Amino acid sequence: MLDAIQFSSFSEFLHMGGYAFNVWSVYGLFAVFIMANLFFPLRKKQQILKEQKRRLLFSETADDAQAPAGDK
Amino acid sequence: MWLWFAKLGSPKWFYELSSKWLPWLVGAMAILLSVGVIWGLLFLPPDYQQGYTSRILIVHVAVAGTSLAFFPLMAVAGTITLVWRMKLADMVAKNAAPLGAWFSFITLATGSIWGSVSWGTWWEWTDSRLVSMLFQFFLLLGVISLRSALEDSDKAAKACALLSIVGCINVVIIKYSVEWWNTLHQPSSPVSLSPDSPNGPEFWIATGIMILAVYLFLAVSLILATRNEILVRERQAQWVQDLVRQE
Repeated sequence: MLDAIQFSSFSEFLHMGGYAFNVWSVYGLFAVFIMANLFFPLRKKQQILKEQKRRLLFSETADDAQAPAGDK
Repeated sequence: MWLWFAKLGSPKWFYELSSKWLPWLVGAMAILLSVGVIWGLLFLPPDYQQGYTSRILIVHVAVAGTSLAFFPLMAVAGTITLVWRMKLADMVAKNAAPLGAWFSFITLATGSIWGSVSWGTWWEWTDSRLVSMLFQFFLLLGVISLRSALEDSDKAAKACALLSIVGCINVVIIKYSVEWWNTLHQPSSPVSLSPDSPNGPEFWIATGIMILAVYLFLAVSLILATRNEILVRERQAQWVQDLVRQE
């Protein structure tokens, strides 16, 4: 299977038969595109959960603080 | 059937089902992407005319082909929003627009990088395929800004649904542009796995793997974004609050 590799050296691989800039920039863009659209939604999820947890805890402590002040 | 449909529209049901499916989708995506990229960069033989620039095409064709799925997807979701007022459909449509804009942009950029060597030009205003794809990019930016411009979220959903349905016309134009007005962008090459096909069977197998990988990526990314939308829009629901507490 390794015989099927088109290149005999690493520098030849980087060179891409003279089209290094075009081939590598396309694969680089593709990698950024994939990573960004997986990373951003995952990071946003963490932010949403953090924010909602803070709000929930806040409203719960607010309820507790109000309870003794009620007319019980 | 109707019960199934009503269930499908429930954000909670979607959230739970997608939790089960995501690991499999991500796994399949990761495997196919790795195979596609490694094959594309190391094993794909150089094209007899294009040399190693044919390696650009397996990425470009996969992203470009998949980008055409966005308007039909948003139109179907939009129709469901308009007719049945299903909340989930609008959440999918809303998150599909920015992802579609990314797809269109990457299509234009990779095509341009390929064209700069194969056609000797980065851009050509007189080519119908290039211009109609640029138009799709702007249409998607239009859908995004339409939604943010309308304050009433119900009205925004309806307006975006209508624009998505109309936008499907452009998908047909993109698809057939190369046959109707053949200027610079070549029509699709005949797909063939026979050993004497002009592009070589390896090229088509690699392209097929990339297309599958990119479709899976679309699904994964859209599901992730839709789940975030559910967490925000359903934050008052008990099940979301329970989920937040568990984190």
